[in-house]
Amino acid sequence: MKKKLFYISCLIFFIVPVLLMLIKSVTTPWRSGVDLDWTSRGWEVVFQDSRVIESMWTTLLIALAVALINLLAGVPIAKALSHRSFPLKNTLEVILLLPLFLPIMAAAMGLHITMIRMGLANTWLGVTIVHLVPTIPYTIKVLKAGYDRIPQDMLSQGRMLKAGVWQAFRTIELPLLIPSIRSSIFLAVTISAGQYVLTAIIGGGTVLTMPMIYYPFLQSADDTVMAAFSIAFVLIPAAAIIIAEAAAMLVAGRSFMKRRGEV
Amino acid sequence: MKWRQTNGLILLLLPACAFLLLAGGSLLLAFMESVRGESGFSWTYYSALFDRRELVDSLLYSLIITFSSTLVSLAAGWLIVRSFYPFIDGNGKWMVWIPMLFPHFVWGYFVLLLLGQSGLISTFLLQTGLLEDRTLFPVLVQDQSGIGIFITYVWKEIPFVILMLLPVYLQLPKQFKEVNAVLGGSGADWFKTVEWPWVKPVMFETALIISAFVFTAYEVPGLLGVSYPQMTPVLAYEWFYSASQDERTMAFALLMFVALIFGTIALIGFALMNKRRMLLSKSSHRY
Repeated sequence: MKKKLFYISCLIFFIVPVLLMLIKSVTTPWRSGVDLDWTSRGWEVVFQDSRVIESMWTTLLIALAVALINLLAGVPIAKALSHRSFPLKNTLEVILLLPLFLPIMAAAMGLHITMIRMGLANTWLGVTIVHLVPTIPYTIKVLKAGYDRIPQDMLSQGRMLKAGVWQAFRTIELPLLIPSIRSSIFLAVTISAGQYVLTAIIGGGTVLTMPMIYYPFLQSADDTVMAAFSIAFVLIPAAAIIIAEAAAMLVAGRSFMKRRGEV
Repeated sequence: MKWRQTNGLILLLLPACAFLLLAGGSLLLAFMESVRGESGFSWTYYSALFDRRELVDSLLYSLIITFSSTLVSLAAGWLIVRSFYPFIDGNGKWMVWIPMLFPHFVWGYFVLLLLGQSGLISTFLLQTGLLEDRTLFPVLVQDQSGIGIFITYVWKEIPFVILMLLPVYLQLPKQFKEVNAVLGGSGADWFKTVEWPWVKPVMFETALIISAFVFTAYEVPGLLGVSYPQMTPVLAYEWFYSASQDERTMAFALLMFVALIFGTIALIGFALMNKRRMLLSKSSHRY
């Protein structure tokens, strides 16, 4: 009974909105007195607009770069926070979370002039850097929770068997961290793909990500096109996860082959 | 050995320090912009803020929306996790993740599509004859009181609250329930001595993340807001691009003022809770 209630409310509040939007994207505008008709016009407008296609690539590229830097920065500090003890550790953990509680718009505005001086304003690299501010705290949180679940004994065992830092990471920590890594990539990608203000300020209208096009589209396009565009946002995390899994398989496959070759 | 270990530690901390330099540096730069008067250092822009009627109204408006949407989404999310957490962890989790896939403004557009005067619900009511005219449908979105913004945030943040609180409930040690029962504790005792201390830190953190986000994010009020009153981030964004240098500086002052308030709440809160957090994290290592 309780289970049913949960599934039904999830369905109504989380699934039905997406379904309605999907239906909306393949039907003519719903007006009273006019018959409903199927149409592929919404999706055609979205996918035939070269600016939209280009913005999808830009969004994906920036999101992937953000996710990658997030992992490179997040894994080491997560390990330190979880398995090492050093002075001011708790303070450092709170300070690293602090950007989540502060207006990120201030960070973007503060960086604006410096970015112009360094030639990073209006470039995708500059946008990538500013997207790190709202994403890295989440990555550290997620990865630290992942490291917390790895028992210290397991790491000690690796050390006892004379595993080097890199080998211990690859054979013990990395496999156990996979779920956390997956969630942090997902979070970083969705947060990066949903940024309007940060991209607008640092990208200056030159770096066109999907949100940069979404707002002007709202003024001109009808609901059928907007619904299709809205659903298209799912493509970014979906593509990012597929790329990340493929990359992981490539890396894991190669190391596996190498190990067999050595034996 | 000792030296190598500390050395390794520095390497582990290095990327995070670079990040702190970026985040802290950007705030410092923003602060320097906010105190840059015509002849050097000046606090005048901070006091000038409160001479602007639109800002005082905007702060109040933002405060009401932030407080109400944080409270409602926290309460609803908590209630859902408390009652359903065994199912959410199984097959239910992907459903909760669905709204997380979409940016906030897409959800805002959906709310507009659903509840707007020419939205789905009003069209449906019109079709069925329950409503005579569209204009009779209440203005729920792009309205003066910010109901559309409130609905969007609550709808979008409930899944976030669920995903934040879920691990806490899944890690609640089951033995504690037995201990409570054996010692003759009631449901209220269970809540007071086990559940609440366990939930409190995460609850505080979640509340702070949501309220800081709602108070300072431009995307949703930029889409669903009206021209007066405006939420604080919309005002700051407009001032930043204003032709007048004074308003540009005031945008920085406004955001630094907000940052100061949220930063202070966060630091004091975590300092008060840190002892508890440490105890919790130590005990959760051993199970």
